[in-house]
Amino acid sequence: MKKIFAFVLVASIMLLVVGCGGSQQNQQGQQNSGGNGDLPKVACLLNGNLGDKSFFDSANAGMKLIADELGVETKVIEMGFDNTKWEPTLLDISEQDYDIIIVGTYQMQEILEKVAPQFPDKKYIIFDSEVNYEEYDLQNVYSITFKQNEASYLAGALAAMIAQDSSIGNGKKIISLVAGMDIPVINDFVVGYIQGAKDTVSDIKVAVSYIGDFNDTAKAKELALSQFDLGSSIGFNVAAQAGLGLIDAAAAADAYAIGVDADQALALMETNPDAANKIVTSVLKNIDQAILRAVQLHIEGNLPYGKTEVLGIKEKAVGLADNEIYRKIATDDMIAKVEELQKKIENGVIEVMTAFDMTSDEINELKQSVQP
Amino acid sequence: MDRILNLVFTTDFISSVIRVTTPILFATMAVLMSERAGVVNISVEGAMLISSLMGVVGSAYTGSAWIGLLIAVLSGIVYSWILAVFHLRLNTNIVLTGIALNLLASGLTVFILFLLTGDKGVSTALPSKVLPNVSIPLIKNIPILGNIISGQNFLTYIAILSVFVIHIFLKRTRLGTYIRAAGEAPEAVETAGKSVKSIRQKALIISGALAGCGGAFMSMAYLSMFTKDMIAGRGFIALAAEAMGKGNPILSFVVSLLFGFADALSNNMQLLSIPSEITRIVPYLVTIFALAIYSGRDLTKKKNPI
Repeated sequence: MKKIFAFVLVASIMLLVVGCGGSQQNQQGQQNSGGNGDLPKVACLLNGNLGDKSFFDSANAGMKLIADELGVETKVIEMGFDNTKWEPTLLDISEQDYDIIIVGTYQMQEILEKVAPQFPDKKYIIFDSEVNYEEYDLQNVYSITFKQNEASYLAGALAAMIAQDSSIGNGKKIISLVAGMDIPVINDFVVGYIQGAKDTVSDIKVAVSYIGDFNDTAKAKELALSQFDLGSSIGFNVAAQAGLGLIDAAAAADAYAIGVDADQALALMETNPDAANKIVTSVLKNIDQAILRAVQLHIEGNLPYGKTEVLGIKEKAVGLADNEIYRKIATDDMIAKVEELQKKIENGVIEVMTAFDMTSDEINELKQSVQP
Repeated sequence: MDRILNLVFTTDFISSVIRVTTPILFATMAVLMSERAGVVNISVEGAMLISSLMGVVGSAYTGSAWIGLLIAVLSGIVYSWILAVFHLRLNTNIVLTGIALNLLASGLTVFILFLLTGDKGVSTALPSKVLPNVSIPLIKNIPILGNIISGQNFLTYIAILSVFVIHIFLKRTRLGTYIRAAGEAPEAVETAGKSVKSIRQKALIISGALAGCGGAFMSMAYLSMFTKDMIAGRGFIALAAEAMGKGNPILSFVVSLLFGFADALSNNMQLLSIPSEITRIVPYLVTIFALAIYSGRDLTKKKNPI
């Protein structure tokens, strides 16, 4: 009796599995016939999760723009923070019928260098990092990097002016920054911020602290509070989701904050207006616009694969968020000065240092020179 | 060195130590309660994470921080009770179940957050409430000391109070004695006709309530929101603190304070011209040193038995 029962059970499970497999194939078939013949199919693999209110959400917004404005079939896949899943997922997607595969961040760079040569027919786009074209055959990869240092320069200049003005800040001429990890792309923000502050107020002090990851929001708050205790008037967070801790700290310590990647004041305005009103501006990284532009160029046949493009203020890929809070807190003189600096960067009069061209020693030296 | 000393001897720094210590202290007491009953509860991290989210959700939907706290504590209890059911009734391996519950918490919180808000990282879309800071009359007027003792968060006082309550509870009450017996000599408890499993279940429920308070502190006092994986290993640090404290509530409290001090020191040292790579190892260095001194003392004790 037991044996018969087991047999029936196994048979029914097998039937179920076969049944499911069949329907899956059907679905795929439908998708194929439904796709437009001329337009590419685009997949975006995010090595994290949506909902960070900045980096990955911006990429997701870009994919929506691609679908809406270009009528392209798109798919966004969240690979989570477990880095052992990233390479298999990229391989899987490369084997499917997507034409363009978009990935981002320096953490995907090596994986892409390994995978892309295996699929020469596919096109890849990597944002916020570049692959090594000299060492690998990557004619099917297009890299986008951002001049976050340029926007951070403006943020540094604005922060320094606020810290100097005792009617807004405390007049102690100290500003601060809480960063996620001590890595080149984050240090690019740090370097730009320090240079912008120093160029505008020569004797400014900049306190820089690192969390060590992008998760520990409480630690970010603790670091920011210790900086505000030291006398900092305004703090810049460069730590994705953990950076919200700095904004919380600014609200608690009655100091100001600068957001990152997306307009963080906008994101917080509805539920936490007290904190939102402390966010003077945000350093924007318009990932959405950058990947929209790339796919558009691909359709026109003009996207330079096998190359890196560095997009800055001039290309509107980075910049400062201009909103009511900014207009309310910053004085007219400050706004005019920021606009003037922005023009100078666009014209190439001011050249902003970048962490990608500096050694760790040079970066440390710069940090030491403004140590409070 | 002078600058470090200047940094350490400020009320701001001491407040910072207290803030950093509170969640570790709750977690340590949670671990201690279960450990004394003979259960290695590594799912404190997960229980804290669940309760930090449920506290935010509860306070956002009811509009009351206190109901939020209650819901957080209840979630901690439920989560601990799940561990109790699996380990005590179904006889699963305690460590594996703990790991499973921790992983579940990480995913489940994001899932619940997504269902409620559409976000997967932070709860800023929920208008959650914050537990108040308590200023104690009279004491707050004492210079310097007043600023330290008074004005801390409500849960900080509860955390410190819990240390002494647990100390007395374990030593002086009937259930406390049973819990200690279940940890030290379960056979004796069985012989006396008491159920070890039922005692351990009670201990785990108390442990869950403490973890719930710790979680609520993270999202409703320390920060004003829930963020993904926000406990960030504090539940595991508690395992170390409890082990170093040898299951003694007072000693474990001192060790949590030491961890909190080291962490706050490392945060503040970044402001001096010390590279972050070095400051970040301070908490771990302190731990290793403390452990070395501790086990060294133990060795000498064993060599010269009284």
